[in-house]
Amino acid sequence: MLEQMLKILPELGPGLLVTLELTLAAALLSFSVGHLIWWLRQHQAWLPSRLGSLYISLMRGTPSIVQLFLVFFSLPLLGLGGKPLLAAVLALGLNSAAYTAEILRGSYRNLASGQTEASLALGLSHLQCWRHVLAPQALRSSLPALVNEFTLIVKTTPLASVIAVTELTYAGQLIIARTYEAGPVMLPVVAGYLLVCWPILLLARRLEGRFATARNA
Amino acid sequence: MDLGIILAYAPSLLAGLVYTLQLSLITALPALLLAALLAWIRLRGRQPLLQLLARGYTDLILGLPLLVLIYVLFFILPEYGLTLSSPLVGVTALTLYYGPYLAQVLRAAFAAIPPGQFEACSALGMSRWQSFRHVALAQALPVALPPATGLFIGLLKDSALLSVVSVEEFMYAAKQAISESYAPLEIYLAVALSYWLVTLAIDAAAGAWERRLTRHRIH
Repeated sequence: MLEQMLKILPELGPGLLVTLELTLAAALLSFSVGHLIWWLRQHQAWLPSRLGSLYISLMRGTPSIVQLFLVFFSLPLLGLGGKPLLAAVLALGLNSAAYTAEILRGSYRNLASGQTEASLALGLSHLQCWRHVLAPQALRSSLPALVNEFTLIVKTTPLASVIAVTELTYAGQLIIARTYEAGPVMLPVVAGYLLVCWPILLLARRLEGRFATARNA
Repeated sequence: MDLGIILAYAPSLLAGLVYTLQLSLITALPALLLAALLAWIRLRGRQPLLQLLARGYTDLILGLPLLVLIYVLFFILPEYGLTLSSPLVGVTALTLYYGPYLAQVLRAAFAAIPPGQFEACSALGMSRWQSFRHVALAQALPVALPPATGLFIGLLKDSALLSVVSVEEFMYAAKQAISESYAPLEIYLAVALSYWLVTLAIDAAAGAWERRLTRHRIH
């Protein structure tokens, strides 16, 4: 079994790399679109804030795998057919953006509203107030939750295997289809995910501990 | 877009949706039991070995994708002579996966209760069960309900992954319909809309229950 595993490992390497690429790309998309959705959601006007809420509700109310298939089958309409990796990045990133928006909303809500008033009274523009006063505090306090969200993206990447993106899980399945033995393949696959997720989870816990002590002090 | 296709496959899709609801509700019970056990071990367990096992198992699940867990149960267990039927793989995978997440919710809700209350309960002559039911649970339930609802919705959505091992739930019914009709967009849109409506209904029901549980509070 060990010998078989060692033979398989080099074949799984590229899959792990695709998993990491997919995670990073989706996380970047989630972070930027998440900000946009948060901004819409907190807007004073009725329409933008409704749109923001609707986006979050739709993304949280439907399974990621259905969203993935919808994106996958919609892309050809935009002339972008036959790009499963793009579909996976879009689906995972846009889904996670809803959760990122909610995390940001929680952090910004906890900031004292007097800070905005004070900034504006001091002559800062709304953008300057956000950039120099609110954002640094909110991003700091949302960091542990955002890092957790990152591991959730890692854990959603195997979905890409259903549209034939050769990430870690699909790379493993291809080998199983050839060798008819799941054990020696699934074990390294499981280890691969733990290897990626555990350091990030540890980081999230450290950050949580640090912010907890900072608040109590 | 041909919306007539959705009507043509409505009966089989509806059967799949009912299966998804049943599967999720049935799974909620063992998941809750596992979560209660894990939370109890973390809060009250005295055996270091049990603590270590609970922590190791929780960390394993936190780092393991659900789809991979489903594949492990479906492909590896038979190699060791244990073949579970597809629905059983589904219930087992979702239970094993959601147990630790729900345990975190329960642990946080119960850990927030000051220990002095239990001393007060025993001083008042209440039994352990009475102090659990009327003091601890009464306070922890409204705290745990919103995040637990979120997890139940997550469980319901993740049950769609079981279509990959041929559990005949909603997503599987959708795939069958698509393989006959070649209309993926129409059917997946209808499926997404149905999931959305179901989760909205669950959210509303949980919200009503939470208001009922906290109706004594003065805001």
